[in-house]
Amino acid sequence: MSAVLSCRSVRARHTDAEVLHGVDLQLRRGEVVVVIGPNGAGKSTLMYAIAGLLPITQGSIERNGRAAAAMQSPSLAQRTALANVELAISWWEGRHRTPRADRRVRAMEALDAVNAAHLADRPARTLSGGEARRVHLARVLAVDPDILLLDEPFAGLDPSTRADLLYDAASAIRSDRRATLVVVHDRAEAWALGDRVLVMTNGRIEAEGSPREVFERPPTEEVAEFVGFTGALRDGDGILRLRPADVTVDPSGPIAARVVRRVPLEDGVRLELTTPSGTLVTVAPEPAPEIGASTNVRLTGGIRFARPAPVAGTPTGVLSGADRPQTGTAGRQQEADR
Amino acid sequence: MLLHPTPDLLSILRVTLELVFWATLLAMLIGLPIGLALGLGRFRTRRVWLGVANGGLGLPPVVVGLFVALILFRGGPLGGLHLIYTVRGMVLAQTILALPIVVALTASSVQAIDPSLLQQAGALGASRWRLSVFALREARTGVFVAAMAAMGASLSEVGAVVLVGGNLERETRTMAGAILTSLSGGYYAEGIALGIILLGLTFLLAAALTFIQHSSKAATASSVRYVSSAAR
Repeated sequence: MSAVLSCRSVRARHTDAEVLHGVDLQLRRGEVVVVIGPNGAGKSTLMYAIAGLLPITQGSIERNGRAAAAMQSPSLAQRTALANVELAISWWEGRHRTPRADRRVRAMEALDAVNAAHLADRPARTLSGGEARRVHLARVLAVDPDILLLDEPFAGLDPSTRADLLYDAASAIRSDRRATLVVVHDRAEAWALGDRVLVMTNGRIEAEGSPREVFERPPTEEVAEFVGFTGALRDGDGILRLRPADVTVDPSGPIAARVVRRVPLEDGVRLELTTPSGTLVTVAPEPAPEIGASTNVRLTGGIRFARPAPVAGTPTGVLSGADRPQTGTAGRQQEADR
Repeated sequence: MLLHPTPDLLSILRVTLELVFWATLLAMLIGLPIGLALGLGRFRTRRVWLGVANGGLGLPPVVVGLFVALILFRGGPLGGLHLIYTVRGMVLAQTILALPIVVALTASSVQAIDPSLLQQAGALGASRWRLSVFALREARTGVFVAAMAAMGASLSEVGAVVLVGGNLERETRTMAGAILTSLSGGYYAEGIALGIILLGLTFLLAAALTFIQHSSKAATASSVRYVSSAAR
């Protein structure tokens, strides 16, 4: 299918600094692409540039249709939820306005799509954060753009409200008629929404692929760390990056470790461990070792990156053959030459 | 006087209302776009113009009246227009006085709108014209305050009006000018009666504007209620 949006070597500045350093991106109708990355990576700037709200300094953005964006802040006008959605439609239509009755029907349909039809008569100022987010989403769905841009549509919501809205949004934003680009912070949101995930760091797209590809086989160490491979062990001339799930506390395990941080969680305890080769993070069931206690761990996964990067506060050391991950690694372990 | 209005009183009332209507209307027509531009615009000299508008709030009416009179006198630059000692000349002076009020209050009301709301309007394709109309609507309370303030200033101002209009009986005498004349002639009871009428007029016009403001809000809410129930 042909691309509805093509960004080529896009560079853009925000205030005085260049934030996008040559972004290439294509969106096709029917797909939902999620952009994820740390704060300051340039995700929102990319969205502003695509929406035409920020001029680019270099490169090109080709839109085969119209783009509409739902900005991060769900600011609503001083009127009812329904009137807010209707207003968005009239902005979108400009001079070629459809009859008011049609706009109202479309507005109601959009509210209904995000489970917010019951909010139609409510003045915007009386809506809760989650309700305002629903109306905000309905507003941009109602205009039915060719390119739908959503900037952190679940920001600032409590976990339960967020989960509800995520569930509703996952089906509401999907359409064969349009391409959707969603900026999120959370990996769970990326899993739930995206056909394709882009990881942005420092104004560049560092990884691209299906959620499974990106989150299980990140191409670079930086991306790996961002997507949850928080443990790092020196391994010969490379470095082994591990997720908490790749590390198991096991008294008979091959790697000696000491607990340096301990945070109780709902389903166990998050332990930060130091080893002669680096630091590890795992989640262990209670009773888990206390801070300062020595224990042993077993590695069950991880990704090896060829070039070593400095691991803060750890002495030099290497994993012996016996220390290396023993099970479940075939599909995930890889050499990643940078 | 209050119970049996004389032709003089009716003339004073007519001139006063005419002055208030035209000066407020002109100040709003000129001031709203300027206030919007200053509130929404991002041009370099914006702060300078905002400072000018805010400074204009303290314009001494007598000085404005003096300058307008000098310009409109027969030998002045606009003497050929024959506006001196006419209601139209008074409207000009009063518009100059009311304009900074409308500009400054509109600009500050528009600036108080959540910037992300305006940005969102842009992200949904709102044209500059629609964005301006939307901003005015969002800032409507401030705009109504601006209208009321402009109206109040026109209603009670005396210095500029007397200098430009000449306070001519049955021609350019306004309520405030008539009170001044009554007091300077020692007719205190008449002055107090005119003062009561002026106060009543002020409250009446303010009440009318407030009623319009609230009825427009109610009309919007009720039409939305009707439509949303019909759509379901």
